[in-house]
Amino acid sequence: MTNLSIRWGGLLVVTIVLVVLTYNHYQDNITSLVPQQVRKEAPTGEIRVLGMVQGRTLKTREAGEATFTLLGKSATLPVHYQGPPPDNLRELKILILIGTWNASTQVFEARDIGIVPNYGFIAGAYLLGLLPLALFLFAMTRRVNFLYEEIKASKLYEEK
Amino acid sequence: MTIHRVIRKVQRFQGWFGGGAALCLGAGLYLGLIGSPPDYYQGEVVRIMYIHVPLAHTSLLGYTVLALGSLWYLWKRDPIVDNMCQAVAALSAVFTALALGTGMIWGKPTWDTWWTWDARLTSFTVLLLILIGYIMLRTFVDDHEKEARYGAILAIIGFVDLPIIHFSVEWWRTLHQPQSISMRGVSISSGLLAPLLCMSIGMSLLFSYMVMVRTQLLYLDRLLHAKKGRLLSQFHLSKSDS
Repeated sequence: MTNLSIRWGGLLVVTIVLVVLTYNHYQDNITSLVPQQVRKEAPTGEIRVLGMVQGRTLKTREAGEATFTLLGKSATLPVHYQGPPPDNLRELKILILIGTWNASTQVFEARDIGIVPNYGFIAGAYLLGLLPLALFLFAMTRRVNFLYEEIKASKLYEEK
Repeated sequence: MTIHRVIRKVQRFQGWFGGGAALCLGAGLYLGLIGSPPDYYQGEVVRIMYIHVPLAHTSLLGYTVLALGSLWYLWKRDPIVDNMCQAVAALSAVFTALALGTGMIWGKPTWDTWWTWDARLTSFTVLLLILIGYIMLRTFVDDHEKEARYGAILAIIGFVDLPIIHFSVEWWRTLHQPQSISMRGVSISSGLLAPLLCMSIGMSLLFSYMVMVRTQLLYLDRLLHAKKGRLLSQFHLSKSDS
């Protein structure tokens, strides 16, 4: 195995490990449910729910407390939010709520509000930024090795 | 000490540049994608900054090296510096194109458009066109001495675009955000600054490493061409003698 293959093989392994770690990290943190799933599965513990704030349902009581209805495709969830004063809580806004589902009161008790993440754009930017550089560098390194071999084979330095 | 001696000395540390780039970029990617918090306003999309800004910085750094190298070439006519300039130009063009591409991807979720004729974006596109012009000039002119001289002149004239790019966000009202790191201070939180610095250093090291490899490539390519040309002329001479 040549030195070039070892170096690039090592780099590829490190890249794959990094990609798997990142993918797992995001899977753990971004997986969100939709209102119909919450109604059907009644999950316990903290969950993330994705939906749109239904029009004319948002009532803000005081800074950091609000009630509204979260709209999914085929179900809605009454939400009671209590947490940091939200900047992005508006009617018809799609967002992610973090909190717990109270099965007895049938109200989702949210403690935080997140923006819908655009992971496609992030993955696209990193792929576009790094992949061409890696391919370009690989092609150049291979060409340098090839030229060295060619020059050696043509015995350039043995001539007068 | 002449400049080409400096280049040769630096090239001895080529492996260190490559290793350093891999380490910094690895750490930067980990911090940028996993370790850093999302931005208060932009959310997760801010992570595009860690790839877009270092690419843009490095392309500007690359053009500065190209302009300085061109000045040196016009003064001393050093072929090794010319070789390096040619390598830097090709790599700067790649980095500039990638900076524009990643910027467009960042623009869509934040500005809701892939492209706008904003002062920063337009002046950066002009930089890419200048670099493409430089590469075309170096490809299509037959006389090597002339191509190097014309290329150097173009690179020096094109340097005018760099201050325009830098100050465009201050001189004109633009969509592009103003500089977060400037002489006036740093307006970015430490959680976001650490991966940005890591990626910027890594990208600069990677660029230097790639310049070394490409300079070597161009040198070997010319050596092989010269060798083949000499062998061919020897062959023709021996044919005509016999």
